[in-house]
Amino acid sequence: MEKNDILKIVNEVFIDVLDNDHIVLTNASTADDVDEWDSLTHVHLIVAIEKRFKIRFKSDEMSSWKNVGEMVESIEGKL
Amino acid sequence: MLFNSLPFIQFFTIFFFLYWFVFGRNLRFQNLLVLIASYVFYGWWNWHFLFLLVFSSLITYFLGLAIYKAPNLQAKKRFLTVGIVAVLAPLLFFKYTNFFILSISSLFQKVHFGIHLHTLSILLPLAISFYTFRMLSYLIEVKRGKFIPIKDWVVFFSYSSFFPSLISGPIDRPNTLIPQLEKPRVFDKEQAIDGMRQILWGLFKKVVIADNCGVITKYIFETTQLHGSILILGAFLYTIQMYTDFSGYSDMAIGIARLIGFNITRNFNYPYFSQNISEFWRKWHMSLTSWLSDYIFTPLSMTFRDFGDWGSIIAIIITFLVSGLWHGANYTFILWGFLHGCYFIPLILKGKMNKKKEVAIGKLPSLKEFFNIVGTFSIVMFTMILFRSDSIANAFHYYHNIVSGHLFSGPMFFPMWYYLMVMVLIVITFYLEWLQRDKQHALQNLELKYSVYQRWIIYNLSFLLIMIFSGHEQQFVYFKF
Repeated sequence: MEKNDILKIVNEVFIDVLDNDHIVLTNASTADDVDEWDSLTHVHLIVAIEKRFKIRFKSDEMSSWKNVGEMVESIEGKL
Repeated sequence: MLFNSLPFIQFFTIFFFLYWFVFGRNLRFQNLLVLIASYVFYGWWNWHFLFLLVFSSLITYFLGLAIYKAPNLQAKKRFLTVGIVAVLAPLLFFKYTNFFILSISSLFQKVHFGIHLHTLSILLPLAISFYTFRMLSYLIEVKRGKFIPIKDWVVFFSYSSFFPSLISGPIDRPNTLIPQLEKPRVFDKEQAIDGMRQILWGLFKKVVIADNCGVITKYIFETTQLHGSILILGAFLYTIQMYTDFSGYSDMAIGIARLIGFNITRNFNYPYFSQNISEFWRKWHMSLTSWLSDYIFTPLSMTFRDFGDWGSIIAIIITFLVSGLWHGANYTFILWGFLHGCYFIPLILKGKMNKKKEVAIGKLPSLKEFFNIVGTFSIVMFTMILFRSDSIANAFHYYHNIVSGHLFSGPMFFPMWYYLMVMVLIVITFYLEWLQRDKQHALQNLELKYSVYQRWIIYNLSFLLIMIFSGHEQQFVYFKF
């Protein structure tokens, strides 16, 4: 799967979990750019993404992400 | 050397002159001056403990570089573990040894085991809880690949001991402070003037509100057999005292940093106007909350993510237990943290923990907002009794006396006018903060709303009140943590 396709699916998950149709993610997006993305919804987002792609993240990789782009790279590496 | 003391004013005046006028054109000398000033500032209190600060800084400096250069994740983790153990060890020893000995000893007594353990005479090094957390965040950020460690030792040691925020925070992250230390600084008149206003406001909250509340709460919390109304008043005033003391200190620290061209981390965002406990914690001691959130809550909630909301609940309770222990080695703080963790349970179960609330825009809050604010304040006030009490038994005694016996009787300690004056000052302070709640501090950008005469009345009145009430210099509550 291409990185852009992964980003699109991640975007859908965000819209679904955070219940906000206006979210548009880019590779550079961080929690500061999305109002509803905070420490609690972060857990919900990760669980939903893992389910959607049928993957499992390691704690080291999750804590090293600086933005959405790095998360997409992690997902790509597991597909 | 307290910010509100004469030695500090003398120290800072000399520093300010050298910093801008003598070394103003040389960044390295400026940073070296910050470093020397920070060590003088710290050593003023107890120079022996300066070695501990230098030791922690050295370990963090070298291990930061080692983590960065390590060839693989395993090696990075190993260096991080060594760093965490070495940096935490002094904190654990100085802060928790006696608590540990007393706990074991009371356990032995309970099971009638005839061993008597003696506590050690240990003095808690000033600022140790704060700088330890600052060093830990440096090591963790480097390990996570979010910060590239610096080789310039002058910059690093100035960061690790930066005097405006050394003693009681804000706990600056490397990403906030280090880039500022690396950049040349220019004197910004507007920043400096607003920094002075922030210092004035911080000093006002500390000297006029916190210290006056402190005079009353000292009597109330240290006397037994009091009755309901005065105990509730004591808890209320202590809750106000905690905020005005600590946020006053933080405003002074931030203002002092602004005078020398730094923007350090914000620590308070009008927490007592919060409408639920989650909002309160995002606005109270913000640098600690975000530290705990990044390094404890988030990793734990990820580990427990398969347990759904209950995983988050376990994570938040553990996080607040750590927060409690960080504040002090006493069961009162542990119970305080546990209660705050439990306060989050309904919000997590309803999925409303962090929903960003819109700030009330009116001059006064709506009825619903008002009840939410009062409710949040009350549950915080309830736990402040634990925070102030020396032991769980004393705290329970306090709670018990509030609800039993007469509501209105017993000694008042001070004449009625004194209580009235303190109350009026509190109302004025919080009303001004309410009006200015979208600003960094209550005296910022007053020119947008008030004429030059009104502004000068506010400044001069604040200054006059500080002068009237200064004299009985009191330590800041957070110095003991």
